[in-house]
Amino acid sequence: MSRQTRTAGRRIMGPQSALTDFLASHNISANQIRLDAEARRRAAAQDTQGDQDAQQNAEVSIADSPPPVPDEEETALPFTIRRRGRSAAQAAAEAEERQKEKDKKAIDKIKASKKFQKRKRGLGDSDDEDIARALFEQRANPLPGQMENCAICNKRFTVTPYSRNAPDGGLVCSPCGKELAKDDPTPKKKKPKRTSGGAVGIRRQAQSNILDGTYNVGGKSLMSLCIETLAKNIDLAEDLGDLPGPIVDKIARKLSKHRLLNPTTLSLFLQPTSQEVLVYDGAKLSADDFYRIFHSVPGLKKLKVRNAIHFKDEVVEFLTTRNIALEDLYLHGSNLISERKWIEYLQKKGQPLQSLRVYWTDKHFTDDVLAVIPTSCPNLTRLKVCHNQKVTGEGLNHIAKITTLRHLSLDLREAIHPDVYIKLLTSLGPQLETFSLTRVPELDNTVLDAIHTHCRSLKKLRITDSELMTDAGFTRLFTPAWSNPGLVFLDLQKCRQLESTKPRENPDKIGLCDEGFKALMEHSGKTLRHLNVHACRHISSEAFEDVFSAEKTYENMSKMEISFCEEVTDFVVGSIFRSCPNLRELNVFGCMKVKDVRVPRGKILVGVPNARGMVIEGDED
Amino acid sequence: MSDSKYITLVSYDGFEFVVLREAALISETIRAMLRGAFKEAQTGRCEFGEIRGPVLEKVVEYFHYYHANRDQTDVPDMDIPVDICLELLMAADFLGLDSRPQMRDLS
Repeated sequence: MSRQTRTAGRRIMGPQSALTDFLASHNISANQIRLDAEARRRAAAQDTQGDQDAQQNAEVSIADSPPPVPDEEETALPFTIRRRGRSAAQAAAEAEERQKEKDKKAIDKIKASKKFQKRKRGLGDSDDEDIARALFEQRANPLPGQMENCAICNKRFTVTPYSRNAPDGGLVCSPCGKELAKDDPTPKKKKPKRTSGGAVGIRRQAQSNILDGTYNVGGKSLMSLCIETLAKNIDLAEDLGDLPGPIVDKIARKLSKHRLLNPTTLSLFLQPTSQEVLVYDGAKLSADDFYRIFHSVPGLKKLKVRNAIHFKDEVVEFLTTRNIALEDLYLHGSNLISERKWIEYLQKKGQPLQSLRVYWTDKHFTDDVLAVIPTSCPNLTRLKVCHNQKVTGEGLNHIAKITTLRHLSLDLREAIHPDVYIKLLTSLGPQLETFSLTRVPELDNTVLDAIHTHCRSLKKLRITDSELMTDAGFTRLFTPAWSNPGLVFLDLQKCRQLESTKPRENPDKIGLCDEGFKALMEHSGKTLRHLNVHACRHISSEAFEDVFSAEKTYENMSKMEISFCEEVTDFVVGSIFRSCPNLRELNVFGCMKVKDVRVPRGKILVGVPNARGMVIEGDED
Repeated sequence: MSDSKYITLVSYDGFEFVVLREAALISETIRAMLRGAFKEAQTGRCEFGEIRGPVLEKVVEYFHYYHANRDQTDVPDMDIPVDICLELLMAADFLGLDSRPQMRDLS
């Protein structure tokens, strides 16, 4: 049944039954089924008709033979009876003969048919006759609407167009048919093989790997190959066995990347003896699955759930009542936890808590929640509040009272006056190792001065999007012998002047400019591993050349981001590669003066504005 | 030094694989075994009491795959049979094949 005939048959019709509608939605035409069944019925009717004809013919031929001469009236009757009996037997035999011949013809016909050839190919060199007969018997099955005995269970049932064939001829009833279907699932259609997309596809994949940070020269490591294979076939895995923790974690990451973490695969990662459960994608988990985590891992210390949508009040309440003392809690996207439950949890379970990280909980993680922490979490060293629309300056005042804090990261949507940060730094500054402020346009030099005055053990510093800090402020932070040891991580992304009318001029030297950049490299250049000066566009090429001059080396630098620094030239990029021998990746998106730069072997330069998009590791040693 | 170009890896069920020494050295564990005064360093024969033959075979295949492709980009992934995937993962962990091996560190 081709598509065309179907569409041709589609016309405006009256109301249809629900079944017809359902079938139509699955591209099955009820009409088509009915027509097929009728055709089969008709064919069968013709066959029986044919048999009757044959029998009649037989009788006619007998009748045509010279009529017996009745010798006597007495003997006539028995004779005729005998004669008739004989003729009937003869007729039956003849009919059988004809039937056989007909069958044989049909079988011969089948043998010539395509279906037969196909099956023969599938079965190899088994007997032709057998196959043909099997096919014939299949055809000889009773028609829809008739009764038939099931070939397996011998129960009587009504044949429908959907009745299945038994493996050795005959039809089966629907319960047996279901059993059969279970036993031999029809081979699924092979998925069309994904083509690599030729040269472009391969190149695109390579670029994708560069941006993912997974780009390597040479083959992948055996472990990542195995983990990828495992992730592809995770439905076959029943147990991960006693794999070491870091590998299990890698598998979990890979699965989450493919969004394969669901209630079934979650069980693979719940080891009763383990102390940590890291769920990188909890979007498919329900509250019950979270209960299951607490049930099956009683010694849980570290819990991390991203996309923890269903981590809601009930779950928190359950966690509060269980004998689980979390030391590290990381929740991402748990919008359904109310303020009251947060407070309750922290009051009851805050004692052992060392690290609390809360991401994307827009409204319910509030100042009042933070107010509880100083009193009920005496061991907290790490606090991270990201993308929060509720915490204000009042909350920061509460944070200032958490004297144990070593790592603080804030990404708040409320505008907070710099003075609040200064107060915070005054009380926490000396012991802070991480201080990260994301998107703080309102922050000014006073905060930098406070960092300079108070911070003594800072390793990671991030201040992004400041529109008020000036070059002088950054210089003051780093130059008059800041007694903080060199930073390891520095991110001053988008600290620059925002003036649309005169974008080139920057008379007040707003943002990180020449002097600030030189000062920071002078102070931290030796220790820095990661530097981000993305869009600090007033750093001149002279400053870059000065910082990355031939006699200066920065051994530790492994990743630099200098995108949208307009003054960066080919020479600057070359100097950077010379001065940072261990640099692995350099980002230069939007540096329009970088045109044709020679990249040393094994280094990655991302974002060169040419047709290939990105130049990667050169061939120069 | 009279080190042979090849070394022999032996699985616990007795299969022996002769591998290019340079290729096998991407494994931290094998490198450590062949360095210093161990028996393995003298005989060039490393026995692995925990790795089955078929798994070690795949590991050896990987050594040569990696060695052959060490300077190329866009290397097609090696095929990993699903049935020994977990065992291979354990072996990879044991042999220290977890991160990207550094060919230039090899001496």
